[in-house]
Amino acid sequence: MSNNMTKTAEARKAVEQLKLEVNINRIKVSKAAADLLAFCETHAKEDPLVTAVPSSENPFREKKLFCIIL
Amino acid sequence: MCDQTFLAISFGPCDKCVKTKPLMNIYIKTDQFNYCSLCVEMMANEGLRDNETLSSLKNESETLKCKLEEERAKLHDVELHQVADRVDALGQFVMKTRRTLKGHGNKVLCMDWCKDKRRLVSSSQDGKVIVWDAFTTNKEHAVTMPCTWVMACAYAPSGCAIACGGLDNKCSVYPLTFDKNENMAAKKKSVAMHTNYLSACSFTNSDMQILTASGDGTCALWDVESGQLLQSFHGHAADVLCLDLAPSETGNTFVSGGCDKKAMVWDLRSGQCIQSFETHDSDINSVRYYPSGDAFASASDDATCRLYDLRADREVAIYSKESIIFGASSVDFSLSGRLLFTGYNDYTINVWDVLKGTRVSILFGHENRVSTLRVSPDGTAFCSGSWDHTLRV
Repeated sequence: MSNNMTKTAEARKAVEQLKLEVNINRIKVSKAAADLLAFCETHAKEDPLVTAVPSSENPFREKKLFCIIL
Repeated sequence: MCDQTFLAISFGPCDKCVKTKPLMNIYIKTDQFNYCSLCVEMMANEGLRDNETLSSLKNESETLKCKLEEERAKLHDVELHQVADRVDALGQFVMKTRRTLKGHGNKVLCMDWCKDKRRLVSSSQDGKVIVWDAFTTNKEHAVTMPCTWVMACAYAPSGCAIACGGLDNKCSVYPLTFDKNENMAAKKKSVAMHTNYLSACSFTNSDMQILTASGDGTCALWDVESGQLLQSFHGHAADVLCLDLAPSETGNTFVSGGCDKKAMVWDLRSGQCIQSFETHDSDINSVRYYPSGDAFASASDDATCRLYDLRADREVAIYSKESIIFGASSVDFSLSGRLLFTGYNDYTINVWDVLKGTRVSILFGHENRVSTLRVSPDGTAFCSGSWDHTLRV
């Protein structure tokens, strides 16, 4: 009995949610893809994993120990 | 509103028909009433408008779903990798393990970087949460949680606190102190209360709010100081396994992924689900926003990772290979968004070119499945945690 009530309430909510989702503004995939590309390209220089940084700036390089024998 | 409804059966006069019967305590538009079960049944039937039966609602939702797919397909004029053809391919990729952090007694389940780019916090199955300095591999703090399987941990943006949670159903915030004599466990503050395990947590832009995801199917936003629930997000049909907040410039949304194969995008302030994507074949283990905030990637037990664009409202790329049959447990983007790092249950980490959809490199090294993976805030390294009790940077 209360099962019926909850099921209809759930179904009603699902329908409302789907209506909202159908009506959102969408852009073309070509435009979205172009934007993703543009973002990658503008930020590629700052990305140390894409454009390798010299060893001197890599904070994780193996530390070379200098033993100075005085 | 609540994910569990409790029917308190009491005996007395019904508010509607005034007969003395067993009553049901129900809420209508936030008012509380005590009605007998007969009146409740009659009201439920009156509530249905003409022509609105359960089956008609179901049919309507099916047609709406088809319409949604059509609308999405209309704008699908080109594939991402076609557009990416004009971009140069990435050079040879060589990544080495620079640091191995040993010290956990059991499987590492989750980790997070601090904004200072050198500290990280990790949590494991044995209940320990450890803060490491990744440059020196020193352990700075260690906390023992009262529960095992600490599945979620997060570093506060200020670097002064950590949050963690797991099978204890709550999220606890520990302020980090450098005083050796202070017992960190004594300062613990319990912030979130869920009815099932905590699967993910994250601080919002400030130290004052935490977003949590739980096995009870809900996500919730809490105020750290008062422990109060600010907003809850209902909609997943099964456990929510992961969440990620949008990068700060683009606003108040977050994405969550769950065992119901759906990834849902929510508005933090209204609690509404804005978009949902259901193209995975299995549980979604991890979701991560693209650095620009316009897209997100998800990793799933169906051995694929997919990129969804939020503005085009559809899946735009799948990262999979026939040779990969083990589920992907975690995913993260490099700083520019060009590279996607994914950790798998077959002990490897695959690096994908986001735009072209091709695999750039495989990294070996862990001796058990990779459970968590995060790129450092400045992009110079990424850390992976695994069931082999270690973390590698």
